[in-house]
Amino acid sequence: MVKVSTSVIYVLFLSVFGIKAASANLVNKHLLVESRLFQQQDTIKKVSKPDTIGEMMKTLVRFNKLRDTLDIFRSKNVPNLSLQQMVKGNLAGVYVQETSGEPGSEQSMIVQGPSGLIFAKKDMYSLQPAVYLNGVPLAQDHPFAYDVQKYDYTRIGPANNLLSQINIDNVSSVVVIKDPFELAKLGPNAANGAIYITTKNAKSGSREISLNSYYGYALQPGVSPTNGAFENNFRKPFYQKYATTANYNTYASYLRDSTNLDYFGKSNWDDRYYQTSPSYTVNLGITGGSERANFRFYGSATQDAGNADKTGLSRYNLSFGLNMAPFKWLTVSSSINAIRLDRDRNRSLRDRFAETQYIPDTSNPLSPNIDNYSSYLAIVDGATDLNRTTGINGNFILSAKFKRLTLTTSLLGDYTEGIRDVFLPSTLLAGISYVSNYFGYNQRLILDNRASYEFDLGSKFHKLKADLGQSFQSDTYKYNYTRGYNGPNDFIKIIQVNGNANSGFDYLNAYGDFYVFRFLDKQRSRLFSFYASGSYKYKNLISVDAILRRDGSSNGQPDSRWLFAPSFSASWSLKHQFLGSSDFIDALDLSAGWGRTMRPFMDDRFAAGPQYTTVNGWTDEPTLPGYGSFIGVARPYTSGYVGYNIPLPVSDRTNITLSSSMLKGRLTAAVTVYNRDDKRQVINLPVAQELGYTTEYKSGLDVNNQGVEFLVTAVPVQSKAGLGWQTGLNLSYNQNRVNALPNGLQELIYQNNKLQVGASAGSYWLYTNQGIYASDAEIPVNPQTGQKMTFNGIALKAGDPRWEDVNQDFRIDQNDKTLVGDRLPKIIGGWSNTLSYKRFDLNFNIFFALGQKAINQYDAARYDFINRESANNITSVREITAWQSFDAARQYPIYNPFSSVVPYREDQDLFLENASYAKLRSVTLGYDFTAMLKNKAKIKRAYLYVSGTNLLTVTSFSGVDPELVNYNGMYDGANITIPKTFVLGFKLDL
Amino acid sequence: MTFNFRYNRIRCISVIILTLAVVLFCGSCKKIDETQSTRLQKETDSWKTIDDAKANLIGMYALMRNALAADNGHWLMGDLRNGDFLSTNRADLQAIIEGRLNASYPVINSITNWRRFYAVVNATTIFIERSPQIVKSDNRYTQANNNVDIAQARALRAFAYFYMVRIWGDVPLLTTTHDGDFIKAPRTSKERVLSFCKTELLAAAQVLPFRYGGTDVILPGAYYGLTTGTDPNWYGTLMTRISVYSLLAHVTAWQQNYLETDIYTKFVLDNYTQLVEPGVTDYNCRYLTINELTLNVRTNETQQVNPFAYKRATQLLGFAFEYGYGYSSANGHIEQLTLASPFVPKVLPEIFVPKDSIRKIFTNPADLRFSIDPQTGLYRENYFTQYGTQRPMFSKIKIIEAVANTSDYAVFSSAVLFTRLEEITLLRAEALAVMGQKEGAVLALNKAAALRGYIPYPDGSTKDLINEIFAERRRELMGEGWRWYDLIRYNRIKRTSGTFITKNGQPLTFAQAESAGAIYWPVSQDVINANPAITQNNFWK
Repeated sequence: MVKVSTSVIYVLFLSVFGIKAASANLVNKHLLVESRLFQQQDTIKKVSKPDTIGEMMKTLVRFNKLRDTLDIFRSKNVPNLSLQQMVKGNLAGVYVQETSGEPGSEQSMIVQGPSGLIFAKKDMYSLQPAVYLNGVPLAQDHPFAYDVQKYDYTRIGPANNLLSQINIDNVSSVVVIKDPFELAKLGPNAANGAIYITTKNAKSGSREISLNSYYGYALQPGVSPTNGAFENNFRKPFYQKYATTANYNTYASYLRDSTNLDYFGKSNWDDRYYQTSPSYTVNLGITGGSERANFRFYGSATQDAGNADKTGLSRYNLSFGLNMAPFKWLTVSSSINAIRLDRDRNRSLRDRFAETQYIPDTSNPLSPNIDNYSSYLAIVDGATDLNRTTGINGNFILSAKFKRLTLTTSLLGDYTEGIRDVFLPSTLLAGISYVSNYFGYNQRLILDNRASYEFDLGSKFHKLKADLGQSFQSDTYKYNYTRGYNGPNDFIKIIQVNGNANSGFDYLNAYGDFYVFRFLDKQRSRLFSFYASGSYKYKNLISVDAILRRDGSSNGQPDSRWLFAPSFSASWSLKHQFLGSSDFIDALDLSAGWGRTMRPFMDDRFAAGPQYTTVNGWTDEPTLPGYGSFIGVARPYTSGYVGYNIPLPVSDRTNITLSSSMLKGRLTAAVTVYNRDDKRQVINLPVAQELGYTTEYKSGLDVNNQGVEFLVTAVPVQSKAGLGWQTGLNLSYNQNRVNALPNGLQELIYQNNKLQVGASAGSYWLYTNQGIYASDAEIPVNPQTGQKMTFNGIALKAGDPRWEDVNQDFRIDQNDKTLVGDRLPKIIGGWSNTLSYKRFDLNFNIFFALGQKAINQYDAARYDFINRESANNITSVREITAWQSFDAARQYPIYNPFSSVVPYREDQDLFLENASYAKLRSVTLGYDFTAMLKNKAKIKRAYLYVSGTNLLTVTSFSGVDPELVNYNGMYDGANITIPKTFVLGFKLDL
Repeated sequence: MTFNFRYNRIRCISVIILTLAVVLFCGSCKKIDETQSTRLQKETDSWKTIDDAKANLIGMYALMRNALAADNGHWLMGDLRNGDFLSTNRADLQAIIEGRLNASYPVINSITNWRRFYAVVNATTIFIERSPQIVKSDNRYTQANNNVDIAQARALRAFAYFYMVRIWGDVPLLTTTHDGDFIKAPRTSKERVLSFCKTELLAAAQVLPFRYGGTDVILPGAYYGLTTGTDPNWYGTLMTRISVYSLLAHVTAWQQNYLETDIYTKFVLDNYTQLVEPGVTDYNCRYLTINELTLNVRTNETQQVNPFAYKRATQLLGFAFEYGYGYSSANGHIEQLTLASPFVPKVLPEIFVPKDSIRKIFTNPADLRFSIDPQTGLYRENYFTQYGTQRPMFSKIKIIEAVANTSDYAVFSSAVLFTRLEEITLLRAEALAVMGQKEGAVLALNKAAALRGYIPYPDGSTKDLINEIFAERRRELMGEGWRWYDLIRYNRIKRTSGTFITKNGQPLTFAQAESAGAIYWPVSQDVINANPAITQNNFWK
């Protein structure tokens, strides 16, 4: 009977999850043998506890007892929506920047510095750490959708932050993994580091119920709205100083008539744009069961609101965990999480036009008057904007333990599906209606088998454990996307084709009710790993670990798909070696590790070598797939030549950590020094244009990150009167450097940026601005030729900027640009404090990022109004938020805005600003009611709190918030601000 | 029997694990190796079937279309500099109009990058090198079919080079693929490149048919399964023998070898009726009436021959944007620059022809393209609308939507038209006039303008014939990307001594400007950065 049932379980899950029938049969045959053997295991008496998170967590706890875990207990009281927000400032070495306050929009995390380039939004995808939820590496959105996009502001589809599914009330631990050996265990997924999340698990014991809730508001910010008069005053000095009659003739039409109340009336749009909106959550967790079978259920509903433009996110979580021990030697455990995210996106013009890839005439912007703006919003409200992510992820783990041998089989899966339906009535898009439908999914399936054996070395001083394992991962990313324009009227909101095949050759054609463009794309990749690891421990003194793995990725080139990657780690207890008798020091450990991880390509193009793809259009029209009535193929001339000799990139890490615990745990401190080399990365190298290609994908970019992390936690005050003070500080310093470029190049001009060996990969490449040429006489003249100084061949004139002629050849060109500043901070950290007195406790969190710079693109655009407004492209879009003034706004010299040198160009240090900041992230005041209720009901804990987030920012940055700088270092002022939120909440454990 | 239970169990389990691992390992290895991308075709899997030939053939044309249309380059380079248009408020376009071609604007940087033409060169060269092997592997792909395809590739490549020589003068001449070997080729003299063009075109002309998929004598029968009777058909899509002779005429005219221009234009004018099947009268190639040219009166008939609308036999050489197949686009059409309300929802056009220029150019009161009736003061709207306002709108070309003249949806379907019958006829007039064959030249000039309401060169006229021919070109081909190249040819013929352009306040005659390299465009800094063997044109340094 046992035999049958065991094999049935295997067969079921193997067949359900689509393992090829052939291998499944073979597997089953062996499993039958195996289960027959299992029957003989009647000698084992002890029930092995379910171990759903695996050995790894245990070792982690052993190595990093105090380090790099999120203080869940404190974090619970802060109404954070996403994982990124939770870890922001709380984990050493993890840099999180919220580029927008729009709830549920995409956010990024960078662990110990960027492993690659950060010039485009697309680049961010390949820098993200893997996020494991109960051992499942969650599949994130794939950047391949950008291939059909003209603008890269937001990915097509819902573009929801998939990590906003993490619900802190259901989490038992969040750990950042940076140790080379631990990362090597996780394998190629974790090449950029990993965040390992374990949710609360099913456990035996009496029934436990927890009920948590908060309710609060995101506050409306105060702004200073302006109207056309302000704008006219702003432009006046430029016109007075430089304008010709012809320039006056092309004066912005909406600013010409100062009696036009649309633009020169009362400016009060902010009352409708910004709003105070409610945020709330309620969740319930139930745990219970016996030693042989127990469960956990968790359900949650959350509404998170932004402070502007009706943005918000509704989130629903459901998770279920189950552990069973049908036999004393076998445990079965499973946990399933289901999510749904519904996001109300911003309604900015830029995002709308970027999505529709259609820009109507932009010469008349939105009026700042509330009446006009309200009637506009009434139309916007009539549009359809469905933005939904649903997903399910979970694991199914079988673990059998026979004395010293443990066998574990895990099936891990993640499936996330995004839907986005948009309909814009013709009133919003200058007379044409627009409809788009997106369906896409990310799917990941992992089958992981492992055997671990604890050797009996005949001595209690020596412990040796060995693991042998293998895992197979299959990823699929797919989307179907349709855009339709110019429907028959505003009531028909779906694309219909004449689907009758008999009605003619064009029954599926693009025209008809809508002018339709369709896009389908799919990428599959597979990863196979085989590894052996050993772990040796001598007394409490020394432990040594090693792992040898061989990984294969289907995205690698045929001759280099497989990679051998070893990793080692050792730890030495100085306390037990030298200070055994010390009362002061509880623990002092020195550990070191080195590890190599393969870094598989996200894209499947490299595996193919030289290739042909459908012809696309050009930058402005990226989706013209052929010619005449046919689809054409050609070499990838614009996206980049793919040749051979592109090996898989690897990441080599070294870590040294000294950690200690003193005064019976009241003071702990740790210092880590790390060095990471991300080698053999592929870069899209510009090539001689005469072979038709813009670029060639070339292997050989090495990026180095070095840094120091410092962590200390202390309990300085702990009085018997009930007064307590706990404090924790984390501080990380990172130094990023390009170590090598392909073909042995020393420097490389890349997408208007320059990469230079030895400089940071995030450096800006800019002209140095030194003022203004007040008159033509001031312009330097080359004594040899008698020619005036030129800017890219154009003679400079009065009113042009004085750019530094670095090479002193009297010609300002790109050779005069220099590398300055850095896009990412040098120092990041957080400081958390909890003061408690009796049942009150007060917690506050400060986090800071220092040393990064940003280009104030918002100001550049404001001053370059001449070129922006006439361009009639996405940069000439003027949002409603442009009708405001900022107290901190900087003043720039009055250059000639009509000059063809484009004086207010972005690529100069005129707009480069220090974007360092420190923020008071959260303040929480709580009161524990438990004692008061104790006699009335079976309440284990009752806690009431108020919490405020994003309360204060200290910075010298002139924009609204230095955090709102985009990933590429550009502050465009278009992102919604991060709201101040106040909530009142309770936590109840029954 | 002794049975070591413990030993046996461990061994068994180990064997099981190992076997399991090996089984899964092998299966998975296979999966790793067999996972193929579904979004691209590997070089090693290409050039095997007739479908590969067709897809790559279409790919070459698509690249050529992209090269011409990207960022409206065909018009920005052909119509703006020293041309008839003015910019409404775009500083970058104004810079081009005034000849400040090194100004620091993204559009200028983008159109001065010749990579887009070299993509055509590379794709056609790959086709020439690789497609013959399909003949061996797929017997549906005949040798005749392959010969014609290769001839098209050679003609397209020659066209790309000719187009580049007109813009940049000396350009690197590459005739092999150098696959994966990114050589840094220096510029080749324009004379050599042009002579290469001519040789290639002459070779292609021997092979190419007049029409595809019909009763053509050279290539009869269906072409890639399509015939003239199917929908879609090949009319107006591919390079024909007529296209190649038209190109030869232009290459030789650019070389000022008008003797040959005469021969090639004659061939075109004698044979253009072969572009369509005998008996076809609706979609045929013919001299266009003003309604057919401007679609101001939209009828089925005018649309069938309009040389800008989609693909048409009237496009002796043109590259279509097929509305019905989703190729309409905002960028890549003259309409994006010239049209505004009421045609599309836009307040102002980006470029316009000022009123006094219009009056100077269209002098004859009977001109159907534009003229003002002296009696009523009304004007003809075929070329310009809103003449009464400050900025008349150039609305000659307006392929906005399938049926309507106006649309709220500002995407366009007009083809990039290189040449049509009127243009070739005027080129012939030019050639004959230069060679002193006045009678023939006048005949050709009047023939080209015959349907424009008046006779440009009536009997007994004493006006300068060359001037009149170029004046007619200016009128007839306005907005078709010819003006700048016409100015160069005109000045070469006339050897004018007045100021052609100024540089830093210094006036230059045409001869001085030409020898200084001013008639060519600067090369984008991106090109020079990537290939140090390329130096900037001296004039623009």
